[in-house]
Amino acid sequence: MTLPPIYIMAVITILLSAALWGGVLYILSGRDRRLLWLLLPGLPLSAVVNLAIKRPLVLWLGEAGNVEPGLGLASPLWFIVALSFVPPVTEEAIKVLPLLLPGARRRMDGRTGAMGVGLALGFSFGLGEAAYLAWGVAQAPEYAGYPWYAFTGFLSERTAVTLVHGLLTMLVTVGIWHGGWRILGGYLSAVLLHLLTNLGAILYQLGVIPAWIAGLGLLPSLLILAFVFERWRRQAAQAGDHEERAAEVVYFERKGDEERQP
Amino acid sequence: MSGELVFRPRKSAGWLWLAGIGLLIIGLSALMLLVVPPGEEGYVAVLVTSILTAALGLPFLVLAAWYPTMRYELDGEALTLRYGPVLTYRIPLDQIETIRRRNLSLSLWSSLRFPGIALFGVAYSDVGTVKMCATAALNGILLVETAKEKYGLTPADEAAFVAALQARISP
Repeated sequence: MTLPPIYIMAVITILLSAALWGGVLYILSGRDRRLLWLLLPGLPLSAVVNLAIKRPLVLWLGEAGNVEPGLGLASPLWFIVALSFVPPVTEEAIKVLPLLLPGARRRMDGRTGAMGVGLALGFSFGLGEAAYLAWGVAQAPEYAGYPWYAFTGFLSERTAVTLVHGLLTMLVTVGIWHGGWRILGGYLSAVLLHLLTNLGAILYQLGVIPAWIAGLGLLPSLLILAFVFERWRRQAAQAGDHEERAAEVVYFERKGDEERQP
Repeated sequence: MSGELVFRPRKSAGWLWLAGIGLLIIGLSALMLLVVPPGEEGYVAVLVTSILTAALGLPFLVLAAWYPTMRYELDGEALTLRYGPVLTYRIPLDQIETIRRRNLSLSLWSSLRFPGIALFGVAYSDVGTVKMCATAALNGILLVETAKEKYGLTPADEAAFVAALQARISP
C-alpha cells in the first residue's frame, strides 16, 4: 500500500502553517508561550463538523426540500443559499467550542487576549481542516497519479485559509469578550465574511465563474479582516502605549529651538 | 565635525530568510516543470509560469547578497542609510526631531520584513509606516523621526552612533 501523495504535501502545509501562524501568534501575544497550546484543541473540529454536522444537515435539507443532489444551478435558489450558509454558520460556531475549557477562557483577559485566543483557535481549526481535506483528496482516485509536488496549490491555499480562519474566529471571540449583543454581532460578522470567502468557490462549483477568478475569492474578506485586525491592534497599542514608552529610550527630542538630551 | 563616519548594523541572520525565500520560490517553479514534462499538453504555459515565478525569487537572492553592504553614513549635513544600490535614505540632520530606541508592534500588512531584517517601508501597528534599513524587524529599533518620515535602523555600536549623531545635530 502506497502513501497517497497529497499526504506529503499536507504534512508540509501543516508544518509550514503551524510555524508561520504560530510564530505570528507568539510575537503578537508578546512572546507568551502559554497561548500556543490553544493551537491544539481545534485540530479535530473540522472533521467533526464536516462528518457529524454539515453532511447530515445537507442531506436533511435535500430530503426536506425534495431536492436531488448535484443539480448545480438547476437547484432551487433557496437550496443554493441554504447550502452556502451551512459551512459559515456551523464552522464559526464550532471553532469557539474550546472556550468551554477554563484555561482558554482565562486567556480572554482583555481585547488583546480575546484577539489572541480567537487567532489561536481559528489557526487550530485551519490546520485540522488541511488534514481533513487532504484525507478527502486521498479518497479520490483521479488525484492518485499526481506526484506530491503537484499539490502546491493546496499548500498556498491552505496556508492563506488558515490565516482567514484565525481572523474570523477573532471576530467571534472579541464579540464574546465584549458580551451582550456584540456576541451575536461578532458571530454574524464572522458568518458573513466566511460566506464572502467561500463565494468564489461556490460560484465556480455552480459553473458561473472560471477557476482563476474563484482563486481570487479570498482577497476581499482577507483585506476586510486585516483592516479590522490592524484597527483593533492600533487601539490596543495606543491604550497600552505607556508601557512601550516606559521601555523606550529617548536620546534626542527637538522642541522648537529647544533640544533635550538625556 | 564634518568628516564622514560609517557605522555598521548589528549582526543578524536575516539574510538567510531572504536567501531561503528566494530559493523556495525558485524551487517551487522548478517543481512545476517536473509535473508537466516537455511535449505534454500545457507544457508551454507551465514553462512561462515557472519562468515568471522564478523571476519573483531572484530579487530575494540579490537582496540577500547585498546584506553586507548595509551601513549608516554620517557627515556634517546628513545621515544616509544604504543597502546595496537599491536603498538610499538621506536624512538631513537639521530635520531630525527625535531619536529614540523602542520595540515596534507587528502588523499584518505585507512588507519586506523577516526576523533579522527589515527593508524599505514597513507598516507597524503602533507607529505607522517606518522606512527601514535594519537587521531587526521589531526589537531594539533606533527610530529617527523627521516631521514627515520615520526611519528605523540598528547600529551595532548604538552608543557611539547616537553620540556622533547628537554631536553633529547640536555642535
